[in-house]
Amino acid sequence: MPLYEGIGLGTEKQPVVIDIGTAYTKFGFAGETGPRCIISTEVMCQESGRIKKIFSYSNEEELYSLLVEFIHNLYFRHLLVSPKDRRVVIVESLLCPSVFRDTLAKVLFRHFEVSSVLFVPSHLVALCTLGVSTALVLDVGYQEAVLIPVYEGVPVLHAWQAQPLASQAVESNLRRRLAGPEEGELSPHSRISESTIEDIKVRTCFVTSFERAHKITAGQPDPPPPSVSYQADGSSTVDVPGSARETAYEILFEQDGDEMSVSTMVLDAILKCPVDMRKELAENILLMGGTTMATGFKARLMSELKYLVTTPKYAKHLAIKVFKVHKPPAKENYVAWLGGSIFGGTDVIVTRSLSKEAYLKENRIPDWANLMYNCREDDNKSANL
Amino acid sequence: MSHILQSDVVRYACTCGSLKPLSRIYFCRHCLKIRCGYCVSHEVDSHYCANCLENLPSAEARLKKQRCASCFDCPSCLHTLSTKASTVVVPSSDEKTVTRKLYYLACGFCRWTSRDIGYPDQTVASGGWPEKENPHASRIYNLLEHFKTLALREKQEREKKKKFIPRRNIYHLSGLSAAMARKRAGLPSIGPSSLKDDVGGPAELIPSAATEEVEQLPEEIFTDTLNLLKVTTLKQRLAQPEFQPQTVDELYPAHKCLLIKRSQRCRSCEHNVSKPEYNPGSIKFKIQLSAHYHVPEIRIVTCEPLRAGEKSEMIIKICNPTQYQSSLQFSPLPSPEEEAEELSKEIEERKQKVDRKDEKTNREDVLLLLPSICRQVSITEDPRPVNVALTGDISLPPVTLVLPPRDDAAEYDDSGDTHNFQDDPKIVVWRKANKAAMKLVITPEEDISEGRDVIVGFVMHYTYINTMATQLLEQREPQKVNLKVKLYITVGKVVGK
Repeated sequence: MPLYEGIGLGTEKQPVVIDIGTAYTKFGFAGETGPRCIISTEVMCQESGRIKKIFSYSNEEELYSLLVEFIHNLYFRHLLVSPKDRRVVIVESLLCPSVFRDTLAKVLFRHFEVSSVLFVPSHLVALCTLGVSTALVLDVGYQEAVLIPVYEGVPVLHAWQAQPLASQAVESNLRRRLAGPEEGELSPHSRISESTIEDIKVRTCFVTSFERAHKITAGQPDPPPPSVSYQADGSSTVDVPGSARETAYEILFEQDGDEMSVSTMVLDAILKCPVDMRKELAENILLMGGTTMATGFKARLMSELKYLVTTPKYAKHLAIKVFKVHKPPAKENYVAWLGGSIFGGTDVIVTRSLSKEAYLKENRIPDWANLMYNCREDDNKSANL
Repeated sequence: MSHILQSDVVRYACTCGSLKPLSRIYFCRHCLKIRCGYCVSHEVDSHYCANCLENLPSAEARLKKQRCASCFDCPSCLHTLSTKASTVVVPSSDEKTVTRKLYYLACGFCRWTSRDIGYPDQTVASGGWPEKENPHASRIYNLLEHFKTLALREKQEREKKKKFIPRRNIYHLSGLSAAMARKRAGLPSIGPSSLKDDVGGPAELIPSAATEEVEQLPEEIFTDTLNLLKVTTLKQRLAQPEFQPQTVDELYPAHKCLLIKRSQRCRSCEHNVSKPEYNPGSIKFKIQLSAHYHVPEIRIVTCEPLRAGEKSEMIIKICNPTQYQSSLQFSPLPSPEEEAEELSKEIEERKQKVDRKDEKTNREDVLLLLPSICRQVSITEDPRPVNVALTGDISLPPVTLVLPPRDDAAEYDDSGDTHNFQDDPKIVVWRKANKAAMKLVITPEEDISEGRDVIVGFVMHYTYINTMATQLLEQREPQKVNLKVKLYITVGKVVGK
């Protein structure tokens, strides 16, 4: 038993809040103002010595062992506390795959013997950082952009939007642009490591203004910004042309074959909501996720929205002219974590968590997609009769 | 020596199903089972700083956010910063010049100094550096306070449920999704209806106001050349999650993260299998039940070249590390069906153990009253089957090999062995003190391709003398037990014809 910990019976151990993202995992203690660490969601495979991403799992067993390794590192390398008999808050997306959720719960309860787990939906708890109960929450992360409107504390699920328009798309776009059109697989730039591409993206690229982007699509671009010579490692440099810096993020705003982009997601979600919600949602937009931290992202999204509402496609149905965004008291990439930290810092963690005993009895976790937990009370009654 | 211990040539199967070399597994002397880092329960024992080796009690470490108060990390390369002293001449009032020592932080690796960001030099060698606070801290504490009050009110309402008229009716009217979403979401009632309630309003909170104004893209980004040396890397940003500086002049030194000493505990009997000494300077253990001291060790001495389908001889050396004589036998690995049966037996055994524990705790009413001090029922993962594809066959001699106890003095005794064992010289080719070498025949599979690893497996049965004090009390003399362990040997690669 640790020598000095928990001598008083009343002292509750500080719960741990974990937000596992596709690229980065944010974690820390509930009730604190920021996460302790933000680390890549990956583990080093001990047998082959290769880095393996958690989300690259092919089956449940593999995911289980990856998660055990990853969470072990989390607790003993970074958080420096024993996981046993400590509460955990997991910030997850409402669209999280069931297999991931179930395996995570199994790892936490069975392997780490945590005392309780509280799953909180990231889009909803992000509102805890604002103190409002209605907002249109757009989360642009690594793999996809997910939008869920929340009205008076209730996620409007039927209006959800998700597109694979996020960091990953930007990075592969940047890689293509660095390689140039004529060179293919053989160009030296196709071998740049993913972390280097990510670093180039973060340090040199930006989201260009609406007017310039239009000129680029019209084929009459303004002179591009200056090129940058990026020192990839000790011996090689990567020349990042100005046009690549400017257009790397364009993939998020170019409308694809189905006329979908990050900005149309916002409008489509608003359209799917009842009329009396629309104005309020448009005036309460919350942007979160690491990709929204890109220079110029918000300005571009706002001007896109203002332009799109005047186009015939939306002007017929939407009478909204004003869009407003919130400024959360945190960096965008850990807004959801902070929401979980605030939410988990209250007594709610005692009343709403799934305890170890309950889990062992049922051997599953409540899930909104499971009809066993998500039926009207009358339905349950009629089923019993 | 270190290579022999670290390599994965001879792997032992742990009770949980993982395969590890002998140096990485434990042997629990209380339940006489093999355990490994995967199936023991890890606990944080003590915190210490790797740089100044200061030992912090965990309560204090928690207050300091698990960081050392006096050591800093370089914000630029994440190396440890050192304190450098410089002497400056200070003009004194009585026309004499006085030299004073001033200190600053410097990184010996990337040459970053605290002067780069304009930190004033300190007159004392340690401490006194300005601490950076999260600019949003007060707002976040406000929010936290607000939600705490709400959660408390929700709890109170839940307690006086009988008097309370369910206000949720309104959500039932608004349809299935709303009611269920709220229930599922686990959000405290923050709607305006609950705020109007007169049971003492929650702390006053100004909700965040959305604006139309957003940060615009700076115009000069299209014309000015970007100096990459001034822009922080992603790694540097994420090292300081609360600030995430964009330019290097905002990089502030961060307190160094502590490290921990870990103790490891067997999950089924809750005895420690490894416990370090508290002193951070010491690398010794109070308890260290490494399997290396208890389970016979096997090493490959030589092996003939392996060819697909052909027999080749392998000589292995077996060493008895215990203080007692041990006799060994070998048998082939159990078939998958037998193994599955064994696994289910093991699981059943665990369940019974848990049930027994349950009964025990139920009888003790005192413990029920104070659930926080009674030990929680330990549930462990079910053991997994070993997942290895064997690519060779091994023929095991039906002999019993007796190994004398370990005698440290025997290493220096050249007079030869005094033991008289009747060994078959065709099987046991060499013997000295507590070690013996044995000849085995390996046949790699017929259809194995060149360059592939040949993996063979067998079960080793060995006698072990249990010397635990508790056992001695009941039995009065050391108890002899028969144990077995599954071994997987990666003999080598198949060579061509």
